[in-house]
Amino acid sequence: MDIKIPNLGEGADSGTVVSIYIKEGDTVKKDQTLIELENEKAVAPIPSTQDGVVTKVLVKVGDKVTVGQSIVSLGAGNGSASAPAPSARTVQAPSYQAPAPSTVLSSGVYQYSSPSGSPPPASPSVRKLAQDLGIDLSRVRGTENGGRISLADLRNFVQYLQNLALHGASPPKIAADTVAAASVDFSKWGPVHKKAVSSLRQKIAQKMTESWTTIPHVTQFEDVDITVLMDLRKKYVAAYEKKGAKLTLTSFILKALVSVLKKYPMFNASLDENTQEVVYKDYYHLGVAVDTEQGLIVPVLKDVDKKNLTQISKELEELAEKTRARKVSIDDLKGGTFTVSNLGGIGGSYFTPIINKPEVAILGVSKGKKSSDGRLVLPFGVSYDHRVIDGADGARFVIALAQALESFDEKEVKL
Amino acid sequence: MVSKPVQVDIVVLGAGPGGYAAAFYAADKGRKVVLIDQDKKLGGVCLNRGCIPSKALLHATKLVHESELSKSRGIEFAKPKIDLDKLRAWKDGIIDKLSQGVAGTAQRRGVEVLTGRGYFEDSDTLRVETPEGQRFIKFQKAIIAVGSKPALPKAFDLGNPRVMTSTEALEIEDVPKSLLIVGGGYIGMELGTVYAALGSKIVMVEALPSILAGADADLARYVVKYAEKNFSAVRLGTKVSKMATSGKQIKVSMEFDGKKVEELYDRVLVSVGRASNTADLGLKNTKVQMDEKGFIKVNTRLETADPKIVAIGDAVGGLMLAHKAVKEGRIAVEAICGESSVYENVVIPAVVFTEPELAWCGLTESEARAKNIEVKIARFPWGASGRALSTDRGEGMTKLVLEPETDRILGVGIAGAGAGDLISEGVLAVEMGATAEDLAQTVHPHPTLSETLMEAAEAFYGHSSHIFTPKKS
Repeated sequence: MDIKIPNLGEGADSGTVVSIYIKEGDTVKKDQTLIELENEKAVAPIPSTQDGVVTKVLVKVGDKVTVGQSIVSLGAGNGSASAPAPSARTVQAPSYQAPAPSTVLSSGVYQYSSPSGSPPPASPSVRKLAQDLGIDLSRVRGTENGGRISLADLRNFVQYLQNLALHGASPPKIAADTVAAASVDFSKWGPVHKKAVSSLRQKIAQKMTESWTTIPHVTQFEDVDITVLMDLRKKYVAAYEKKGAKLTLTSFILKALVSVLKKYPMFNASLDENTQEVVYKDYYHLGVAVDTEQGLIVPVLKDVDKKNLTQISKELEELAEKTRARKVSIDDLKGGTFTVSNLGGIGGSYFTPIINKPEVAILGVSKGKKSSDGRLVLPFGVSYDHRVIDGADGARFVIALAQALESFDEKEVKL
Repeated sequence: MVSKPVQVDIVVLGAGPGGYAAAFYAADKGRKVVLIDQDKKLGGVCLNRGCIPSKALLHATKLVHESELSKSRGIEFAKPKIDLDKLRAWKDGIIDKLSQGVAGTAQRRGVEVLTGRGYFEDSDTLRVETPEGQRFIKFQKAIIAVGSKPALPKAFDLGNPRVMTSTEALEIEDVPKSLLIVGGGYIGMELGTVYAALGSKIVMVEALPSILAGADADLARYVVKYAEKNFSAVRLGTKVSKMATSGKQIKVSMEFDGKKVEELYDRVLVSVGRASNTADLGLKNTKVQMDEKGFIKVNTRLETADPKIVAIGDAVGGLMLAHKAVKEGRIAVEAICGESSVYENVVIPAVVFTEPELAWCGLTESEARAKNIEVKIARFPWGASGRALSTDRGEGMTKLVLEPETDRILGVGIAGAGAGDLISEGVLAVEMGATAEDLAQTVHPHPTLSETLMEAAEAFYGHSSHIFTPKKS
């Protein structure tokens, strides 16, 4: 049996093999790391899904691999009966490169995984048909009870593939199609040096292009007086420090955001383009943009509404550390409902952040400035998806957020 | 006389359930097929020396057991008189009828049947030694379905007919006063049940720590209970070291409970496994490869290392069951005919026709534990089934092995009367990827034993009408 690249997380469908820990003949245990993959946002270990002996390593360092691709063939642990070479007709599920979700349909990248390691549930007749068509059912989303794949699901999937073939959708590249034409020889005008674009950079480019081209963005700016808030911070920062928590402006912002998101749930939602439904989320997982040496990564702080300021401060710090060390797990990057990008530590004033699709809004925070009357004023902007949110709500949202920060309740800070 | 080679599309070697099913399916797909078996009676071990005769004998002797139980229900029968010749003739009659049925079906499908031993001359040619002389067959593809035979370790092979394998035991030449059964697998258990009903004193010896290895212990215990009551002894973890002829008996040396004993038995049944029939087929003249146990190596399309030859059934090892061979036969034919079929994720039910019957399919609880797969278990004891109690068969259990989170049915196990027939619903459930809820939502007729499947699922959700299971959080 072959071990395949599992689902890597939202929007992540490929990566580059950076290390291989096993060789042919090795005995591996379930969950043992086989290879490490530099995927879009992190270096992720790919574990074995079962015990066995490595009969063949199907990738090498530097290979670009996609979700569902086989990386290692495992034989039975006892070294018996490795089947003879199958004839040419042996069915190989075609290695299917999933498109960027928005380009054709929203099926996106899907990989079935079951808690017991069982194959995807489907009736024998549907499985036979999939065999005949060479379709890997683990890529088909089942809609029936228990996730069972019906004939209709299989048919939809095949139509989706056909659509894909007809529209020739290839994942967006770093340069938009319009510019992708001939390379320009810049050395004609002076010395240049070149550097390959890392897979993380490519992914950022792909996500930003997709978001920018598919979402009608509006950015609403506002200023907030954070003099009192910063006094609060000063008053408690040492006490927090003793508890091992770093009380920062971002922690305050996350805390305040949750209360405002609860009031304006459309900012904590996603648009399902397929079903034309707005999906409101009753959980508050906030993404926080982190600047790393390799580029932007957005880890997600889960269930912020259920955490007090100490927990938020502590976990935020840990998450950011992990991210900078590129030790963040795939799970830490998944499931965000709203994103915060705080550039205040660097400087500059207002900017227009790009929405982290499939979210519908993002907060961009700049550096606070002293006003003429000695108050500390923080400029910020919220970009939102105009398909879901109208301007009036956008304005209401920034005002509410400013108020929440201005009148931050000391009770929330007290230890 | 040597005749001119015949050209065929497909030659099938071996007319057991796998072989004849494959031959017929290939013929249905328009191929010219020759079916070869060395036995004039088609049907292989299953029909002639396995499933069918053993089930006939179990059915016939079940009545003996039933009539004894009847006493406690107020209806008493006299001790039965047993006419072995008549019993044997009745059993043989069933075999003849079924075997002729296979031959007739072959004829109607235009499948030519040859009687004789087949031998591969090379990867394209099969030589058949028929009673009328040698025949040569040139084939496009060959399907090897030569099956298996009972293993008889050299140390036990005394050339004495009192040491039997299942083949001889099914002929019931006599009812031995004392019968030693070596091997507590399903064959030993089934034949032990037959001979115990006929009146033999049975001692069963098993090298492993339990009988019916492979069955979950909570299901097998009902059979263990029966054996403990109806056999003189069941000795686990016991090895037979030696056998020797001693007059009209067999002297057997074995070691159990740390002591060596020598005992005399009228007959011995050796049921310690089965060996493939792949020797002397001329496979060395082909590219077919075998493992160290003599089973032919195949891939998931049943293709051997020789591109012209596929193999199915007991000859390729794995579960040695007729219905597994049949499924493999179908897939092999489809593979030959250029379809994309593969033998993958096929649910093969196992049935043991003991008292009571045991049946399971898919993932068993013990297998899940061995492989560290997390599962949830739902059980329904038959003591709570109206149907089971009203037929005096409250000894039994239906259980579901479920996937956490999804409640998908990964396996089903049943112990109890008619389990072999009841399991099919479980097989369908596993094949369909059904969930416990699907089973609980499906109305089952009352009062029947099939309700126990529904009630096991209901019990899982804590709302079975007939047992109270506080819902697990």
